[in-house]
Amino acid sequence: MDYIASIYNFRVVGDYLPVFLHGIFATVWISLICLVLSLVFGTGLAGLRMSRIGIVWRTAAAYIQFIRATPLLVQIYLVYYGLPVIFGATGILTEAVSGIVALTLHTTPYMAEIIRAGIQSVDTGQREAAKAVGMNRRQTMGYVVLPQAFANVVPTLLGQTAVLIKDTSLLSIIAVFEVMSSGLQLMSERVMPNEAFLTTAVCYLLIYAVMLVMANVVQRRLGGGVYRPA
Amino acid sequence: MFTEEWKIIESILPFLLEGLWTTIKVSLSAIVVGSLLGGVLGTLRSFRLPVVKHVIGLYLHLFRGSPFLIQLYVFYFVLPELGVPWLEFGSWTASLVALSLYTGCYVTEIVNAAILSVPRGQEEAARSLGMSKLRAMRHVVLPQALRLTIPPMSGVYVIIIKSTAILSVVGISELTRQGEVAILRFPSDILLIYGVVALLYFAFCYPVLRFTDWAENRVGGVRVNLD
Repeated sequence: MDYIASIYNFRVVGDYLPVFLHGIFATVWISLICLVLSLVFGTGLAGLRMSRIGIVWRTAAAYIQFIRATPLLVQIYLVYYGLPVIFGATGILTEAVSGIVALTLHTTPYMAEIIRAGIQSVDTGQREAAKAVGMNRRQTMGYVVLPQAFANVVPTLLGQTAVLIKDTSLLSIIAVFEVMSSGLQLMSERVMPNEAFLTTAVCYLLIYAVMLVMANVVQRRLGGGVYRPA
Repeated sequence: MFTEEWKIIESILPFLLEGLWTTIKVSLSAIVVGSLLGGVLGTLRSFRLPVVKHVIGLYLHLFRGSPFLIQLYVFYFVLPELGVPWLEFGSWTASLVALSLYTGCYVTEIVNAAILSVPRGQEEAARSLGMSKLRAMRHVVLPQALRLTIPPMSGVYVIIIKSTAILSVVGISELTRQGEVAILRFPSDILLIYGVVALLYFAFCYPVLRFTDWAENRVGGVRVNLD
């Protein structure tokens, strides 16, 4: 027991429990905001990527490739130092806002590629049928193609959401408060690396476990889509 | 017009290129060690041995369920505290071990998925010719499976190159870290310097990404959720 206590002191972790709970809460919030934003923008970007106008889809493709080929950390730095240059150093641009902007810019292209795969997985017959009953382009997309497209890629979108949650850990580097930061706070106040980092790791694994359960439920509910990667 | 910027770029580029070289070296070593580890574990996993199966499953869950940053911190800060002499890693050892294990977990999934995607009839045919289980794996199943791993493996390689940027937090002087050092010299040109850093990463990753897309169309390959 003494050996365990010398490696991992439960009392200290108990003292810091509120900090860690606050951190988990912040991580979940940041992830949720980024998830919603990147799904909305991702759908738009997928549309631009599939446009027939050369300059439009080329620009969209260039953005997607740039994000895919550079590390998130560098993107976070670029946004963190770049936003004040563009918008001036206003009080609105807190670390959290910069972090959410950076993560959204990073996640949007991945979501767009998944949604694009989903749209392409919907049979052309569906579109033709919608046209045959007199729907216009917008109605076809909104009522026929997109609902099926999303249903088909929900498992993949959940996987990308898990990546997004893990990516929020990098925001601790620009001093956004989330789980990783609560671990770093314990580390800097008590200098107890085991308690600090092992607890943080457990927090992430808990969130991961919840995501796994959710993925299972969704998979069973949807009975597996038409488009099933992996 | 941009003479000032050019001068700065000229004076920091040698350092950034040195950082890029370190990035290449670190990512290559991690991919080699990680591929060996993942190849062995992925093959083992496909045999579905009673205890081994669960041990490998635990490894995969631990490394897929937590961000690489926390894994790095655990290898760098926690392991030296356990009082076991050979676990007292320096920043280089910690980075290489963490990155290799991280790579290994992706490769395990890919190799396992590729082996499972080879039709069972292939193995049964080999077994009915009198080959042992291991020989059938080595001479019949693996050669077919390895081809399928090429596209997802190059995808993993891009992920690993990008993950090396995180090593800058423990002081490995790779590309991102060299960028930070350059910023200490030119504090008013943060954006320019990170822009150049991003372009260097892009120049390194983009060809690999294009190869991945090309290989996916060409070989097909197994699709593995890389998360």
